[in-house]
Amino acid sequence: MSTAKIGLLLIHPAVTTTPELVQDIKEGSDARGIKFVDQYLVNKVNDSSIKLKQSNYDVIHYLTPEKADAILFPKKLIPVLQASMKADGILYGLSDVYKVDALINGFEVVSDSDDLYHWVNKATATKPVSKLVSLKSNTSSNSTNSLPSFKKNNGSGALPSFKKLPTFKKQNESPKVVKLADDNDELDDVLEEDEEEEAVFSDFSKTQFFEDMEDDDSIEEDNLISEKGQNNVITMITCGKTKTSRKKACKDCSCGIKEEEEQEIDNIRSQQEKVVQFTEDELTEIDFTIEGKKVGGCGSCSLGDAFRCSGCPYLGLPAFKPGEKINLTSISDDL
Amino acid sequence: MAPNKIAILYGSETGNTEDFAKILSYKLQRLHYPHTLSTIGDFNPQDILGVRYLFVLCATTGQGELPRNCHEHSFLDKKNKTLWSVLKRKNIPEDFLKHINVAFFGLGDSSYPKFNYAIRKLHTRIVGQLGANEIFDRLEADEQSMAGSNKGTGAGVESVYFEYEKRVLEYLMTKFPKRKVNGQSMERNAIDDSIYLQPKSYLCLADKEDDSEEADVIVNEPLKFSNDAAIKYGKVIKNLGITAKDHFQDVREFIFTNNDTNIKDQYEAGDTASIFPCNSDTSVQQFLETQDHWLPMADKPLKFTNDVPNALKSGGVIEPLTLRNILKYHCDITCIPRTSFFMKIWMFATDVSRMERGEGQLEQQRDKLKEFATDQDMQELYDYCNRPRRSILEVIEDFLSLRLPWEYCLDYLPLIKPLYYSISSGPNDSNVQLTVAIVKYKTMLRKIRTGICTDYIGHLKEGDIIRYNIHNNHLIQDQYKGNPMVLVSPGVGIAPLLSIIKEEPQLSKNLQLFFGCRFKDKDYIYGETLERWDKEGRITLHPVFSRDRENSPDTKYVQDVLWKLGSFVTDLLVKEKALFVLCGASGKMPIQVRLTVIEMLKKWGGFETDEAAAAYLKEMEKEDRYLQETW
Repeated sequence: MSTAKIGLLLIHPAVTTTPELVQDIKEGSDARGIKFVDQYLVNKVNDSSIKLKQSNYDVIHYLTPEKADAILFPKKLIPVLQASMKADGILYGLSDVYKVDALINGFEVVSDSDDLYHWVNKATATKPVSKLVSLKSNTSSNSTNSLPSFKKNNGSGALPSFKKLPTFKKQNESPKVVKLADDNDELDDVLEEDEEEEAVFSDFSKTQFFEDMEDDDSIEEDNLISEKGQNNVITMITCGKTKTSRKKACKDCSCGIKEEEEQEIDNIRSQQEKVVQFTEDELTEIDFTIEGKKVGGCGSCSLGDAFRCSGCPYLGLPAFKPGEKINLTSISDDL
Repeated sequence: MAPNKIAILYGSETGNTEDFAKILSYKLQRLHYPHTLSTIGDFNPQDILGVRYLFVLCATTGQGELPRNCHEHSFLDKKNKTLWSVLKRKNIPEDFLKHINVAFFGLGDSSYPKFNYAIRKLHTRIVGQLGANEIFDRLEADEQSMAGSNKGTGAGVESVYFEYEKRVLEYLMTKFPKRKVNGQSMERNAIDDSIYLQPKSYLCLADKEDDSEEADVIVNEPLKFSNDAAIKYGKVIKNLGITAKDHFQDVREFIFTNNDTNIKDQYEAGDTASIFPCNSDTSVQQFLETQDHWLPMADKPLKFTNDVPNALKSGGVIEPLTLRNILKYHCDITCIPRTSFFMKIWMFATDVSRMERGEGQLEQQRDKLKEFATDQDMQELYDYCNRPRRSILEVIEDFLSLRLPWEYCLDYLPLIKPLYYSISSGPNDSNVQLTVAIVKYKTMLRKIRTGICTDYIGHLKEGDIIRYNIHNNHLIQDQYKGNPMVLVSPGVGIAPLLSIIKEEPQLSKNLQLFFGCRFKDKDYIYGETLERWDKEGRITLHPVFSRDRENSPDTKYVQDVLWKLGSFVTDLLVKEKALFVLCGASGKMPIQVRLTVIEMLKKWGGFETDEAAAAYLKEMEKEDRYLQETW
């Protein structure tokens, strides 16, 4: 072999728990004449956090622990993979579950050779219209096989004759209210017609299940939980914000958080005691512009809790107008 | 009209998940995606055939179950089929949902063993068994913020939600980058944040021609509720405090009857009653005064521009329809506001005339409200509203720049929801008896916090009419009737157990009741009755008082008594196939009881290892012989 084929190893997230699988593939790659230059988690490609180069790979190998007939693969990725492959490039690891998508996207399915089951990229300059490209723009013969994320830029295919924005979008004077245009808004549907027809046909046969039937048995909900299996695959979030610090005492807290909370509440309430002891005269004399008066110099005490400083003696009391008596009569204090 | 191809379906217990569903719906609205937003229970099952893009958000409740609004319709008769009951049919084909692309978001609490089970059940059924195509792997958020999707990052549930939202929007934007209006394709641009989206149906004056201001004000017309086929009316016959006056907790024995239909034998032991509360006239008036332009309208007859919104129908729609009545019977103005509330109202902070400090203060208020509406971190909102448990009414009193349009109040104000109580009376009783804890507590806010429902029930008097409903839980399977029963309940958990004890003919000749409270003379609720039953041989009573050394010298909690009588109780469970029912507050109690039972099985039940004992308990749970109702 003169030069190794450029390969991409695409990995299902569940495989990360069994690194030996990845190792096996890599070790076997020399014998297959493949050099895996890239290795990505499929979800990274799927959420577009990794973008694949166009026409880059000779081989893509998708590694998943799923059974061939139970593979769940994001359909929208299939044209993305196709676009990243050279002509006659080979895609391993998918199955006949996605045969239709393979064909739509210009792959040839090879299942009867000595090699592993695979797809061959036969799409070249005249790739069939991808399911994903908006079908309404019927001249999308863009040979670069646009990635979904590029579609916004793919304005060339868009209808040039836009009407002006509908008049209801005009911004009124405040308060601004716009009427929903739901009734006119339609989804620019991607279902192809025969597919839609098939759906309608199957809908018809399915309607019977909404009627009362003699065989009315239900499955056991508890059986829907399996200790192992597909249920374990979830999207992990690894880079959440950490600003949130919301420790909350449990109902029957015994670790001390509850006491801390109560202490904090008591502190605030004893602060309140001090400020609500003002006489009416005193309150009318409070001048928020003068420091050293019985309110802080921040000037925010009267504005309500959303604007008060932490530690403000007025915390927990309603907003009030300077000089106005805080009406506590409506605030009952008995537990 | 053809059903929408996009649907957001949710199951929510406390309202958290509902709010996330509303936020998602709001974002889709802004991007001009026509869609349906519904609870799983209220969604018309057959419409699922028209759905192509399904977004499911669901919380988990009780013992890993789906919330009530997944398997019950909120205003139709309970016999009506729901989407979930259809999907659970054994005989539906494996490709039933093949036409659907779906993405899931679960909200759970990892301090419960069956963490996020509801969303997993939905996932297994919808994707694993009925052939829907999953758009991206499910997300699971954890209220404890320590496990699940956000494991170890310290990130809150909202960061998991917003990741979900981001993926959903990316998916839809990739699939439908353009929109079509009347056949014309155009760019899909989001509607500006500061524009309020008018709901499909909203309020307007009922009679526009009539100019005579006085004539159309409704006075003293009798109130009616329409549009809920299942709602029932009860008359209060007792509302009595049954804890000592100086005890911190006020527990009521609450009895009502139905004059129209006989309640007798309408429910089983372990069933639940829901009660629809309303606001006090004082709160309503206070609210109206913060929006003084509503005052002249408050008692005029109103109507909807289109249909009555479905969300309003649960519990019935008030008649006559006036602003005052709507605020009183439909709008939960004393609940803690959530993000979706601020999303819908911040742009109405426009009234500079009520700002002491003019434009600057107006800007300040507007910015703050907008921050509550849009900040994905939600910390500010949490500190301002959730932590002190601040009500919508108090927020609106703090933000006088808000000048809200009354026409849309049912869109931006959250709706009053019923509260659920276990029934304490026996099925053969012609009344319904509840045991209600009146919740009051203090936070940093000066005013004492109360919940709307307990506030409402706290003030009900004999003869008052309430709206209610009965919900069947099928707690006890027929096959266990007659077996010995071990009934365990600290505190108000006694409520459903009373119903079991009172059922005639007796459910079992051997009822062992383990009741726990703090003090014998303060919160020993129904103590006299229990002791009488014990004397009469109806039950064997094992009371325990956690803070009362005198009356409970060597045991504190129910699990201590279970352990003390370990050999006897274990024999009942293992040899006589007794039913074990545990009711009460959630938290550590049920966990400790469970651990105690496992230890008992090891010591006295012939199970050598932890695993074997735990496996037996699991088996009991599977057979519905170990029942736990905690809240």
